[in-house]
Amino acid sequence: MRIYATCVYLFLYTPIAIIALFSFSAGRHASQFQGFSIKWYGKALSNPFVMDALETSLMVAVASAFLASVFGTMAAVALQGIKGLVRTVFDSLIYVAVMIPGIVIGIATLIGLVTVFDQLNPLVSTLWPTGFTPPKLHMGMGTLIAAHTVFLMALVVIIVRAKLVGMDRALTEASSDLYATPMRTFQQVTLPIIFPAILAGFLLSFTFSFDDFIIAFFVAGSETTLPIYIFSSIRRGVTPEINAIGTMVLGVSLLMLITAQLLLQTGGKKNK
Amino acid sequence: MKSKAYDSESQSVDRNVIAELRDVSKSFGDVLAASDLNLSIGEGEFLSFLGPSGCGKTTVLRILAGFEVPTKGEVLLDGEVVNGLDAYNRPVNMVFQQYALFPHMTVTQNIGYGLRQRRPRLSKTQIVKKVTKALDVVQLGGFENRRIWEMSGGQQQRVALARAIINEPKLLLLDEPMAALDRKLRKEMQIELQNLQRQLGITFVLVTHDQEEALSMSDRICIMREGHIVQVGSPQELYDRPKSRYVADFVGTSNFFSGKITNLTENLVSVLLENGMSMQGILGGELTVGQDVCISIRPEQMRLHRQGDGLTVKVLNRIFLGEHTEYLVTHGTLGDFLVLSPRQSELNDVPFNRGDEGLVSWDSSIALILENN
Repeated sequence: MRIYATCVYLFLYTPIAIIALFSFSAGRHASQFQGFSIKWYGKALSNPFVMDALETSLMVAVASAFLASVFGTMAAVALQGIKGLVRTVFDSLIYVAVMIPGIVIGIATLIGLVTVFDQLNPLVSTLWPTGFTPPKLHMGMGTLIAAHTVFLMALVVIIVRAKLVGMDRALTEASSDLYATPMRTFQQVTLPIIFPAILAGFLLSFTFSFDDFIIAFFVAGSETTLPIYIFSSIRRGVTPEINAIGTMVLGVSLLMLITAQLLLQTGGKKNK
Repeated sequence: MKSKAYDSESQSVDRNVIAELRDVSKSFGDVLAASDLNLSIGEGEFLSFLGPSGCGKTTVLRILAGFEVPTKGEVLLDGEVVNGLDAYNRPVNMVFQQYALFPHMTVTQNIGYGLRQRRPRLSKTQIVKKVTKALDVVQLGGFENRRIWEMSGGQQQRVALARAIINEPKLLLLDEPMAALDRKLRKEMQIELQNLQRQLGITFVLVTHDQEEALSMSDRICIMREGHIVQVGSPQELYDRPKSRYVADFVGTSNFFSGKITNLTENLVSVLLENGMSMQGILGGELTVGQDVCISIRPEQMRLHRQGDGLTVKVLNRIFLGEHTEYLVTHGTLGDFLVLSPRQSELNDVPFNRGDEGLVSWDSSIALILENN
């Protein structure tokens, strides 16, 4: 059993470890280690294409994680007040959203948006005053953020809901008993208590968005995110530069995930 | 609009009515949690709702707090109907069972919470002054900046209490506030609560399932059963003159012998017990000949002795309780019952041992005939 487990972990993590290791190689080949160096990191960070892609990825990740946290929290709080069939339906739809493969979300969003845009664009241009160029809706940063937000919202709802369910109902009652209106109760009691969960949801969402390739590949239009850049440069051969970028992405993701985990744990302890 | 609080059973309480329930019912789906409750709560009174879990006592408290809206009837606070008034608009505060202190705030912030919600706003210095005073009242000076989870159960309860009384509510509602404390601490808090209530003059409404707690603290106790009020009265009244077997059983301990009334004419009423014996007692309510009743005799009202008149019994068990010794005895026709013997008589006489035979007697004038429910 122990050997089996060891094998599983080796299979999972050896390739990742090798990528991290080879990113420090001084040689030109991605699969040979020729002396320690961090020159590929320097190279990656001074590559304008990489920096552009990084900027796009960061903007998309921050924006969609933020929007997902706000809307997800709102949805989670609203769901607390609903009972019966409606709630069951909503709950199951949220879990479904998390479990749908990325490729399905990607294709569905692409087809959906393209169809809507095709209908809307002529309509907008007819309504627009003549002499001005009408705005044209197209695939790009906006659609990417929208697609990520919708998918990440489900994640935030699940995390925040877990916290809300564990929160003593007497706390909001006590606040109400002490003359706080529902709005002030939310601001002064509910929000501070569930805040670690919201932050954890934000960090997880950021990681998911930052790492996402499949959905971005379909809906990003002409925008290039970091995963898309990596994918396209791999076709020209794996260089240690790619290893360096991959390792940095991995590092950021791990940091976020660990922070999120810590937030959820300590937040849970204090409220008991 | 103020009227004198009245109480049909007890000597009328000379207090202004601060809160009133008029035909209040509350149902959750098919479950009737409270039905047709009528009760006046006097200003400055310490009133307890006593009953087993599920009897509706907590529902009554939540209706008073404004967390539940009654299905039927009216709730009056200071002469005004407050049925639709939200909890945050009611001059009523509650001490929750698990205290419900805000975990993300310090002791001071918790206690000042109610004051900070006031509009127009109170000044910072006013709030600080009041909080300091409240901390003093519950003897928590020096704990100002502690976090809630750094405090013991007893200290947390004091914070919860301070957080409520600082607002000078018309009613202070306490939902089983001692349930989470250990026995010794509970005793201390009971005395402290009582002192606090006298000192502040705030009306206290307590919900408990602990009869000892209710008896030791309350001015009046309201006994509930399955959503109904069974009897309201002072602790002594409920103990000495219960109106039903349920109350006699719930308040203190009693021996019950079931039977039917055979004769109502004499001063002492005769009851024919199910086992064929005849017994005498006084009426504990309006009862008629032929009605199913029971005779209630408290263990301490019975005497266990060796000489004289009495029923011959055999001692089955003996429990030493300090100031009393409790004997479980058995009689040929009456079956098993309890006799409580004071320590003094034990010292004067040779105590009974398990298996000994003895005589049990009591005054017929203290044997209460009660409705058998």
